[in-house]
Amino acid sequence: RSEPPVPGRYKPPATDTNPALEDPTPDYMNLLGMVFSMCGLMLKLKWCAWIAVYCSFISFANSRSSEDTKQMMSSFMLSISAVVMSYLQNPQPMSPPW
Amino acid sequence: MKNLYIFIAVLFIQWSFSLAKYDEFEDGDDIMEYDDNDFAEFEDVNEDVVTESPQRIITTEDDEEEATVELEGQDENQEDFDDTDTQEGDTESEPYDDEEFEGYEEKPDASHSKNKDPITIVNVPAHLQNSWESYYMEILMVTGLLAYIMNYIIGKNKNNRLAHAWFNTHRELLESNFALVGDDGTNKEATSTGKLNQENEHIYNLWCSGRVCCEGMLIQLKFLKRQDLLNVLARMMRPASDQVQIKVTMNDEDMDTYVFAVGTRKALVRLQKEMQDLSEFCSDKPKSGAKYGLPDSLAILSEMGEVTEGMMDAKMIHFLTHYADKIESVQFSDQFSGPKLMQEEGQLTKLPETKKTLLFTFNVPGSGNTSPKDMESLLPLMSMVIYSIDKAKKFRLNREGKQKADKNRARVEENFLKLTHVQRQEAAQSRREEKKRAEKERIMNEEDPEKQRRLEEAALRREQKKLEKKQMKMKQIKVKAM
Repeated sequence: RSEPPVPGRYKPPATDTNPALEDPTPDYMNLLGMVFSMCGLMLKLKWCAWIAVYCSFISFANSRSSEDTKQMMSSFMLSISAVVMSYLQNPQPMSPPW
Repeated sequence: MKNLYIFIAVLFIQWSFSLAKYDEFEDGDDIMEYDDNDFAEFEDVNEDVVTESPQRIITTEDDEEEATVELEGQDENQEDFDDTDTQEGDTESEPYDDEEFEGYEEKPDASHSKNKDPITIVNVPAHLQNSWESYYMEILMVTGLLAYIMNYIIGKNKNNRLAHAWFNTHRELLESNFALVGDDGTNKEATSTGKLNQENEHIYNLWCSGRVCCEGMLIQLKFLKRQDLLNVLARMMRPASDQVQIKVTMNDEDMDTYVFAVGTRKALVRLQKEMQDLSEFCSDKPKSGAKYGLPDSLAILSEMGEVTEGMMDAKMIHFLTHYADKIESVQFSDQFSGPKLMQEEGQLTKLPETKKTLLFTFNVPGSGNTSPKDMESLLPLMSMVIYSIDKAKKFRLNREGKQKADKNRARVEENFLKLTHVQRQEAAQSRREEKKRAEKERIMNEEDPEKQRRLEEAALRREQKKLEKKQMKMKQIKVKAM
């Protein structure tokens, strides 16, 4: 049932900034991605670099629209560079852990 | 000397041909022919062959001969070759006098012992092997990434379709009830965008406003994270559903003071722990709603019985029973301030701000495998929301209820004040000290000595007065105590 609406009481949608409710996944994944890519670069571990690429992808998928794209891109670039550097230094294929 | 060179040449030729053509040695006659031909061909070249260190040639040729012998010995199918080769070796050494080779006996012996070492096949590193198969782990990784990207695109599109299906179904009802449907806060004026506001790949917002009793209504479509493959895999273990959360902010004068909630038992238990207002005002455990004809799955949390009585009218019961499977929780509260905040020492000196709110959380049917058609089944729930808004406005507590409600609120406030008493005292103390310091500074900064003196005297007098007052108070307390 419709009632005569009161003329224009507008308000920008209260995008609540309550930090308790925000999903921490993209931030964690970002950090994890950077840590893994650093490990991959320094210790020359290929699997670390690959995991870093995955982490940055997951972080991107879970990100909020308000999130900084620069940070996302920088973590992505870092992980790609970790993979590339690992293969340039040691072109052998990755050996499975088993 | 010439015999020696001939022998060397023969050995050399023998080695090169034995490597290339194993099969040809099956026939013994052929070997002799080969030798004759080789003799003829390479007679001129003998000199060149000899310029190299002849000893080394012998040893290498011996190696190769021995090598070929051993290799062929390992081959099961070629047992004949052993005989032919040994024959060959014998036939070679026969034409030559043993005396000629006295000096060279050690060399063959030495090479003999060396040749006892087994042949090791060198491991060619995998990246030089020129085959993609050795890179299977990398191919696996890239395939995984591609799968992730595919899932991202598919999931994003599905969420998008679901959101728009919901909006299309509900658009009419919303537009008939609200003047402003859809606002993203960027425009200066209040114009309806008529569109959902996409916050995320899985969260869509819609702000509606311009209705009599409420300030506004925020609808959040919280879909599952279909765009994240990890989440999709996790959901295979633990099914979950998309949710629609509706938050109606009521005008202050349009809602009386009460706190009330109804929903699934599990949800209510969780809310009672998490939400500030429910934990403070609804102390009892969620009660069954069977008394009012509600299904067993639903429970009620209420500040007082009268509120429950008032809320559970026929139409509301009808809504709740018919759509019980889709309702997660419904919360009416005049003291709504969101979930309990983590309070740190000395931080919270004021009660959190409260707003009169109606909160609804609905589960989309399908438990994850929803299709856009399922959105139509949520339309009656929106009608329930509209009905609740009007009901909340109409419902007023009677005198008794109001008194109880006021008492409850006063009690909660007092508790809070007691808790923060110490902090507030400290805050007041620090403020007073700040004021004193500011005054002293002002006095110090005064250029004019006269003014300075006057200000100082004024400050002194004020201090004395305060001291006197305190003393009076102490005296009074002492008298009272006595």
